[in-house]
Amino acid sequence: MISKIGTNALIWFEEILILVNFTNFDFDQLFSMSDDSNPLMMLVWILPIILFVFYGQQIQLFVTSREIKKGINKLEGFRVESRNELINYVKNNLKVIDDPVKKIDKFLDYFTIMPVDMDPNGIVDKVRHTVRSREDYTRIHVKSLSPKMNEVELTQVQTLLEIASSLQMIYKIINHMFLTAKKQNNYPLILPLQMILPFIMEQAEAMKEAIPAIKNGQPLGDGIGPMIVGKMMLDCKKETVALETSLSNTEFANRNLFLLKAEGPGSTVGRPADGLEKIVTENKIDVIIMIDAALKMEGEDSASISQGFGAAIGGIGTERFQIEAIATSKEIPIFSIVVKQSVKEAITLMTKEISDTADDVASQVHEMIRENTTEGQSVVVIGVGNTSGVPQ
Amino acid sequence: MIFSKKKITTEYTVEKCTKCGTLTKRKFNKGDILFAKTSKCNSCDGLMQIEKIFGETIEQ
Repeated sequence: MISKIGTNALIWFEEILILVNFTNFDFDQLFSMSDDSNPLMMLVWILPIILFVFYGQQIQLFVTSREIKKGINKLEGFRVESRNELINYVKNNLKVIDDPVKKIDKFLDYFTIMPVDMDPNGIVDKVRHTVRSREDYTRIHVKSLSPKMNEVELTQVQTLLEIASSLQMIYKIINHMFLTAKKQNNYPLILPLQMILPFIMEQAEAMKEAIPAIKNGQPLGDGIGPMIVGKMMLDCKKETVALETSLSNTEFANRNLFLLKAEGPGSTVGRPADGLEKIVTENKIDVIIMIDAALKMEGEDSASISQGFGAAIGGIGTERFQIEAIATSKEIPIFSIVVKQSVKEAITLMTKEISDTADDVASQVHEMIRENTTEGQSVVVIGVGNTSGVPQ
Repeated sequence: MIFSKKKITTEYTVEKCTKCGTLTKRKFNKGDILFAKTSKCNSCDGLMQIEKIFGETIEQ
């Protein structure tokens, strides 16, 4: 039975093959290229041209809007997820006094108004004051959620709060730009949004993926500097030199070493500039060495190490300004070693490649000390970055 | 998007014996902190210290 059906189908297929001759197409005839008298074909050519001339922008707006809307939906998902993660962390890990949801929602909507920069004189001090006031305020109010929480938990909640509030702000701004362009039916208005959205999405995804590492107290890619300095500090006496900043004094190759890093294993970057200021006030320093994570350029290998000159420290710029000012006033050269990584690698769980560079960077620091100082001189080594999961 | 592979990150802890330098790699346990001394070395009577904590991502 089956073979009979098979045979019939083959005969039918052969008949079709005979009827359609694929080698005999006349393209001129098909598209009426040589014949202007076919009105139907003229419409087929002319209508799209008219359509694109008069409605091109609207069509582009429609297509672009769909893409941006997808991105905005993703951003909203990140915003909701980060908020829920923060609330769950606070409820499940800390002994909260009252229901924390209302308070957390209030924190998420907090904004910071940066100082006026029409007169740039003294702007850095103003910015530092504003940012530190916000940090201090957040610290006190996060602590009020559960007065019994320890310093590590406090810094973790603070970082989770920063992530959630940043994702909320990103969502709000992008959504505002999108809705304004749609409301005005203005295609050029949506172009900048289309251009920046991939970068924004990369940052937002990285922030969302940083949450598990922060919650579990694991080291981040940005923590490579504190990890190296923290290891050097292991058997030394430590003291708190500034807020959330730890200092050790040791010797290496007959040089006096001051090792400075944020106080781990909490999720904080500390205040290395304040720490350096105190060290420089009390001691004569000959060289400053900074170890940090740096953003790699596209095409550069992740976890590649580079040496350079100048203060390697990110952030809003106030810490770098202060370190540069101290170094300039005392005429201290600043050397830097950076470990290159992407945005995502910097704020998520440290990758194997980055952690494997630790020994190499440490030996480069030792080499740098030997090359640039003589016996009896003093060196400050600063491990810059978030010290989550990295003690000393 | 249809053909994009799912990425899974596994967290690992690498321990190093402070005496003989033996390295062991295991899955990350909650509470693991860098430089913490965790257990005794299987090869000698030294202590194992957490040397690295990192994530390895595989595409599925």
